Amino acid sequence: MYRKVHLATRKSNMNVPVQKYMKTRILLSIFVVVLGLAAGFFFFRPPTLHGTIIQSPEPSFDFMLTGIDGDVSLSDFRGKLVLVYFGYTFCPDICPATLANAGQALRSMSDRQSEDIQLIMISLDPERDTPQKLAEYVAHFHPSFIGITGPEEKLAEVTSLYGIFYEKHPGTAATGYLIDHTATLLVIDREGYLKLVFPFGVTTKEIADDLKYMLRQ
Amino acid sequence: MNKYLLNGLYGLLALIGISAFAFKVFQPIQVLPRIRLSPAFDMLDQDWKRLTNEDLRGQMVLYTFTYTNCPVPCHDIDKTMQEIQARLSEADLGETKMSFVTISFDPQNDSPLALRAHAEGLNADPQQWKFVTSPNETLLKTIIGSGFHAYYEKNTDNSFTFDPTFILVDGWGIVRGEYRYQTEVSTVDRILRHISVLADEVQNSTGPQKVAYEAAHLFLCYAP
Repeated sequence: MYRKVHLATRKSNMNVPVQKYMKTRILLSIFVVVLGLAAGFFFFRPPTLHGTIIQSPEPSFDFMLTGIDGDVSLSDFRGKLVLVYFGYTFCPDICPATLANAGQALRSMSDRQSEDIQLIMISLDPERDTPQKLAEYVAHFHPSFIGITGPEEKLAEVTSLYGIFYEKHPGTAATGYLIDHTATLLVIDREGYLKLVFPFGVTTKEIADDLKYMLRQ
Repeated sequence: MNKYLLNGLYGLLALIGISAFAFKVFQPIQVLPRIRLSPAFDMLDQDWKRLTNEDLRGQMVLYTFTYTNCPVPCHDIDKTMQEIQARLSEADLGETKMSFVTISFDPQNDSPLALRAHAEGLNADPQQWKFVTSPNETLLKTIIGSGFHAYYEKNTDNSFTFDPTFILVDGWGIVRGEYRYQTEVSTVDRILRHISVLADEVQNSTGPQKVAYEAAHLFLCYAP
């Protein structure tokens, strides 16, 4: 009995610094874990891309239209990220603003990154936009940009399948007719799947950030 | 201290793993997949008015595809749409608008007049439920067949063989739900449940909550 009490007393005396030490250790560990969790959430949080992500189960429609160097199809660019934009060269504001932002985004990247990206502008105005004129127009925004177009029936098919509505309406004597159109910028991944839809108004930085993220995938 | 840091790092990795696993298993937020872009179209409705995909931007739309001369069991499609429209209050739509569009793949017989008679026969609310078609049969085939992935084929007796299909599209013009089986009561329940899930996402996936919704997409937390 004595021995038991003695041992208990000794154990209790020894536990005072050990318990204090353990308490500090546990608190420190919790602090480190919480700090790490906050840092981890910051660095590993799910990507909040500026465009809308599409989880398409099948590849995008593979169009074939005509550019200055002949026929161009989407599948020619497998292995690259492809930006697809629908517009026309007489477009007064929306098209140049979007193309300028896309061009700036590519310029803000390294050569290696921008070489893995191809922008294709599909003209909705084959009547006025010849391949020659399109090539000159898109080159103003970035030398790598390609401009293509085709007959109305083909354009109707391509635009419908990419969710692009367009219609002509009268403009001024200076502009001629104008074309209202859906102004989204689409991103097709290296394997030909639609992955991202940028709304009109997307900025240079937002395009660049999202494309850089996609290039890392 | 290095030991503590290492322990902390292990703890962090374990917590991230457990959190991701818990998110996937418990699915605190459910979403519908973003399947593909809905096709663009320009058609005439039962009131001879143009209806384009851009007119429907900003609202959820449930599409289906049929023709007015279709014998039974085609009528199940209309019944399903009627039931969904009648029970729409069960889904908490909040401020989100909802429309119904029936696209006819028989423009030769389904003039706007015929579509109107059909709509009136169903007591369809003309403000909410549009019946449309396009005289351009080639483009119609592209829109319905390749765009909405709804199969139909004209037979020699001018009837059609087709798969009953319902497509749910969000306000950004993205297909979020496809329902391709024969219409049953369970289809209505499922579509209504999905409409609620989509309306929740539309209303709540802004600001800081957007991260949680993107995580739900990332971990494929899809509503059953």
